[in-house]
Amino acid sequence: MSGLKKSFYIKARDFNRAGEASISVQNFLKSMNFDPGLIRRIAICGYEGEMNAVMHGGDGALSIEIDSDKLVLEISDDGYGIEDIELAMQAGFSTANDEHREMGFGAGMGLPNMKKNSDQIMVASEKGQGTQVQMIFFLNQGGQID
Amino acid sequence: MNAKRHSACFVRFDEELCTGCASCLRVCPTKAIRIKKKKSIRIVNRCIGCGECIRTCPAGAVRAATSDLEVLEKDHVAVALVSPVLYAQFPGVMPKDILHGLRQMDFQHTIDMSYFLEMFQFATEEFIKRNRETRSAPWPLISPVCPVVVRLIAFQFPSLMPHVLPVLRPVALMAREVKRRIIPFYMETAEVVALYYINPCPTKMDLTCLEPEKQTTIPEIALGINDIYPELAGHVRRTRESDAIPFYQTRFEYETCATGNASMWAMSGGEIADMDIDKSLAVSGLEETIAYLQKIEMGLFQDIEYIEFRTCREGCLGGVLNVVDKYLAKSAIQKMIKMFGLGRRLPREKILRLYEKGDFQTEKRPSRLLNLFGEQKEGLSIESMQKIEKILDVVEGRDCAACGAPDCRTFAEDVVRGSASMKDCLWVRAQGKKKSKAPSAG
Repeated sequence: MSGLKKSFYIKARDFNRAGEASISVQNFLKSMNFDPGLIRRIAICGYEGEMNAVMHGGDGALSIEIDSDKLVLEISDDGYGIEDIELAMQAGFSTANDEHREMGFGAGMGLPNMKKNSDQIMVASEKGQGTQVQMIFFLNQGGQID
Repeated sequence: MNAKRHSACFVRFDEELCTGCASCLRVCPTKAIRIKKKKSIRIVNRCIGCGECIRTCPAGAVRAATSDLEVLEKDHVAVALVSPVLYAQFPGVMPKDILHGLRQMDFQHTIDMSYFLEMFQFATEEFIKRNRETRSAPWPLISPVCPVVVRLIAFQFPSLMPHVLPVLRPVALMAREVKRRIIPFYMETAEVVALYYINPCPTKMDLTCLEPEKQTTIPEIALGINDIYPELAGHVRRTRESDAIPFYQTRFEYETCATGNASMWAMSGGEIADMDIDKSLAVSGLEETIAYLQKIEMGLFQDIEYIEFRTCREGCLGGVLNVVDKYLAKSAIQKMIKMFGLGRRLPREKILRLYEKGDFQTEKRPSRLLNLFGEQKEGLSIESMQKIEKILDVVEGRDCAACGAPDCRTFAEDVVRGSASMKDCLWVRAQGKKKSKAPSAG
């Protein structure tokens, strides 16, 4: 069976609409009656990823690919990229600026949260080359909510 | 007389009045309405009772499925359960005069909600205090008071069910108290007691529907405030005009006890204003409620302990069955709060002892509610979703609602589920005509 893929556009620095792409993904998954716990995990990952793209990225996209055994959530942006991915994966590490912090973002929990809530995570990035984050959620595993 | 209704059936459509204008389609948060043959029909098991369709219908064709006043049968001992929202409908009138008016309408007892709102507040504070240590429930906890919010969560945000505060709602505490104390009082004379909840919105028609209290045979009837208002207003006016001070012997302490604290509950923010919680929010309005639930689902607001949601703007006094404009009502309530002053009257220690005995907790609510919708909601398969995407490519996606579904995606879902046909779409029909014209012209 071929997978089903759906993409949503993310506009950089548009804080008013930030979160809309993740909400669309949630609604999409809800109409297919996925496990609420799994949807919650994907919602958290989607939102964190989307916020990263909005704050640090150029424009980007959030996509969800649904297969019979797994869901793949991918967030890609054309932003300034991550210099040291290992460092970025550490809880509390943040490159957010004052503007982001004023809005309540920039706690350095984005990527760690995504790692915690997904079954597999792959981050590909280079300075100046944008960032691609791919998260995999396996089905029929009895997802936990965090 | 009042058979047990389907617990998810909250409004009815008057076919004669319905013009098929589609106004209600667009405001329904669960997309429970379709128009067939120019008349509105509703998918019953999706209705959460928010009343937006009643609010928006320009033809007055949608009504709450509350009971008519005629159900007030003479052979019953009628007990009226009164929330502060009713007082807000009579600006400048003292609650005691309104309660007196109700007694003139053959309600033998009038139960004021104040007492039970305080109980709920004590129990909530205690739960939150303990939850800071045990973390048995996730932050932010969500107020269970607005039944529409709880049903919305069950229907659209089931993953947030653990966030709903597992404390019995004030109205359930109130109904239980009547069952515990007033009904035994009438046992000796074998009279039948009936509970009448006087409602600001179409949702509370079945008092037990949200609570796992065991079913009883006591008739529980919901009346809309707008249903009783004309008659009640007459009695209230006469009460105030008469020189004699109305005298009524109350048998139970909570029969007349309106308080400033309880009055606040009619407004958005009134539930949390006096609660001893560090970080709380009050959100009102259906759109805002949905937006905040979406954010909670995405992991936001974990630093907030408690969120009061009301799907009606400005809180319960914005309920669709109220008579007085919500801002006038709000002003009336604010004056009442000033007059009564703030402060609680129940002794905390007594409530905490009851809390210790588990008198306020409810654990079965989530499973019961999830079942309410879970049975009916059938998930779409990957193939179905692919078909839906293909249909969406064809129908243009302008959400014109001419097909009778609220938007193109819902229409496509209906087609895949077999309850609508492609030729219901105006755009598809127009394209078809063009195509058939083209060859004949050429």
